[in-house]
Amino acid sequence: MKVALIGCSGMGNVHAQMATNCGLKVSVFADKNIKIAKAIAKQYKGEAITDGMAACERTDIDIVAIATPTPTHLMFVKAAANAGKHIFCEKPFCRTASECKEAIAAAKKAKVKLFVGHVVRYFQEFEAMKTQIAAGKIGEPGFAKLYRGGLLPMGSESWFRDFEKSGGVTFDCMIHDLDWLRYVFGEPERIFCQALMYTKRVPFDYSQVTLRMKSGLIATVIGTWAHPHGFQVKAEICGSGGMIQFNSNEAPMAAMKREVKTGPDWALPSSPVDISPYQLEWEDFIGWIRDTRTPRVTAHDALRAVQMVEAALQSAKTGRPVAL
Amino acid sequence: MANIGIMSFAHMHAYSYAACLKQLPGCELTAVWDDNIKRGRTAAKQFETKFVANLDAFLDSSLDGVIITSENMKHRPMAERCAAAGKWILCEKPIAPSVADAQAMVQACKKAKVGLGTALPCRFSPPLMEACTQIQTGEFGEIVAASCTNHGQSPGGWFADDALSGGGATMDHTVHVADLLRWILKKEFVSVYCELGNQLHNKEFKTDDVGSLQLEMEGGVQVSHVASWSRAKSFPTWGDVTIEFIGTKGVLWVDAFNQKINVYNDAAMKAEWAYWGGNPDLGLVADFVRAVEERREPTVTGLDGLRATEVTAAAYQAAKTKKRVPIKRTR
Ligand SMILES: NC(=O)c1ccc[n+]([C@@H]2O[C@H](COP(=O)([O-])OP(=O)(O)OC[C@H]3O[C@@H](n4cnc5c(N)ncnc54)[C@H](O)[C@@H]3O)[C@@H](O)[C@H]2O)c1
Repeated sequence: MKVALIGCSGMGNVHAQMATNCGLKVSVFADKNIKIAKAIAKQYKGEAITDGMAACERTDIDIVAIATPTPTHLMFVKAAANAGKHIFCEKPFCRTASECKEAIAAAKKAKVKLFVGHVVRYFQEFEAMKTQIAAGKIGEPGFAKLYRGGLLPMGSESWFRDFEKSGGVTFDCMIHDLDWLRYVFGEPERIFCQALMYTKRVPFDYSQVTLRMKSGLIATVIGTWAHPHGFQVKAEICGSGGMIQFNSNEAPMAAMKREVKTGPDWALPSSPVDISPYQLEWEDFIGWIRDTRTPRVTAHDALRAVQMVEAALQSAKTGRPVAL
Repeated sequence: MANIGIMSFAHMHAYSYAACLKQLPGCELTAVWDDNIKRGRTAAKQFETKFVANLDAFLDSSLDGVIITSENMKHRPMAERCAAAGKWILCEKPIAPSVADAQAMVQACKKAKVGLGTALPCRFSPPLMEACTQIQTGEFGEIVAASCTNHGQSPGGWFADDALSGGGATMDHTVHVADLLRWILKKEFVSVYCELGNQLHNKEFKTDDVGSLQLEMEGGVQVSHVASWSRAKSFPTWGDVTIEFIGTKGVLWVDAFNQKINVYNDAAMKAEWAYWGGNPDLGLVADFVRAVEERREPTVTGLDGLRATEVTAAAYQAAKTKKRVPIKRTR
């Protein structure tokens, strides 16, 4: 199977590598910045183009991978579906829940597989927590605290910093944790959120959520794009028989370069493992295309995640809890 | 020489305060009274002081100040007796579970012209004092948000009985952080939203054992707080007080009791954290002793205790109504 990649920077680089690791050939690299497309196309011996819509329609392609800024996801999903391609779309699925529904309808109509990269479901440390909970190691879980973030990312044309485009840390980053909570503990009941992006005119974001699940479990979730540097993930799950903690700062490796690059830099958390979680999501997606397995995350899950962050931001705006 | 008495050893902090009184110069643990006679006698013996079973006799004695460490619901009647007897008071936190009780205590002490302090020792914790200094110098710019925790292991007993405690983990573990933020940011709380749960101890409790709070302070400072008794029995320490301050010029993280060495003791069959940091209780008690001698208000006042109680009471109200609740300041 051959892949066309749209958006060839931060996540695009990761997905080109992961698809290749899975034995796929990434043959078309589309990026509106042709320099970026050319550089990566050279590395993978593919073709560089600027027009993502044209990439979707190529007849020599089976899969379209979308790693562009979130507001562009819908148009590429629809174009790819209409052209009969299977789709790998980065999270957040789309910029609004109604866009997500449109995307799901397009894929359904075209009978193509639409996968959304909620990669935290594939992170080994998160899977280990899920396994321990399922094994009853902490008894009945009653409380969860999740924390994620660091530096405010820049992205191409600073799109992360335009909160209309990215949705701020709540929509872009905390969505990982809200999705994971729903994955492990079931449907949410109501959500309350405070986020800086709706109040203070500060050039960063910080979001704090109190979430009640239908099971009764309470979660406090913090998302930060307020730190001057770094990236950290912390998790804690408490139950009637014990508790679990994870802190990404306690990693097997720490590197300090003498020559420090100036200016902000967007770094993915890294803790070397046998198989990257980004590859695991590709393996799941490919297995689904080949009908050998059902993926860990569905487009419906990705829609629910967007609905959760939308509800959070509505709460942040109104100062009221929002029922889900 | 300040003569200090302790009323009730119901709260385990009494033992720490008693030890501080023994250690500090210029004061004496003169007498102990307790409505649980056996507990009181044992404690008096442990701290080599006298037990006075009769409350009138206890309050008639030469005491200058009294530390009240009873169950939360008994704070008010005990404080009123002490005030009427002209004794300086240091009252365990929360000063009282209800705003009305806390207000009455503040009023009674004002009327009797005695000092009333609330036992919020975190203000004497070296890492938190340092955080306060750094933030107040403006190095981190304007603080626009903070996320906090005050976790603990389950204290059980009367703490988990509404009738004596007036509330659970959220009652027990909100006031420290509420007071710290008021102190450090010099701002008051304006509203709170809260979800409460009684779900970490197989519903053995008659109170909540976890609360997730979303608070707002003056000027739109956004604060989240987790108050819990979530620390497992096998957890290597009692709990924590943490605050992450988000300022316009930077971020400050403080984990106030994270000064420890890891101890692996086969006899205990669990990892333990041996704490080597400062003793905030000592600062608190020393301040109270000085307040008694100087006939002034303790540094952390009864009014501070009332303010913290206003936050907690509103949080319980918010959990009940599932709405954000304004925090009213009373006198
Ligand atoms: N799963 C994760 O861990 C993770 C991490 C970061 C970002 N993301 C998500 O991945 C997506 C991409 O983020 P990123 O960090 O790679 O962003 P980025 O800004 O680094 O890269 C986006 C690339 O897309 C190109 N592009 C923009 N609009 C285009 C268009 N209309 N047609 C063709 N190319 C276009 C840009 O030139 C740029 O090269 C976002 O949805 C983001 O939320 C996911």
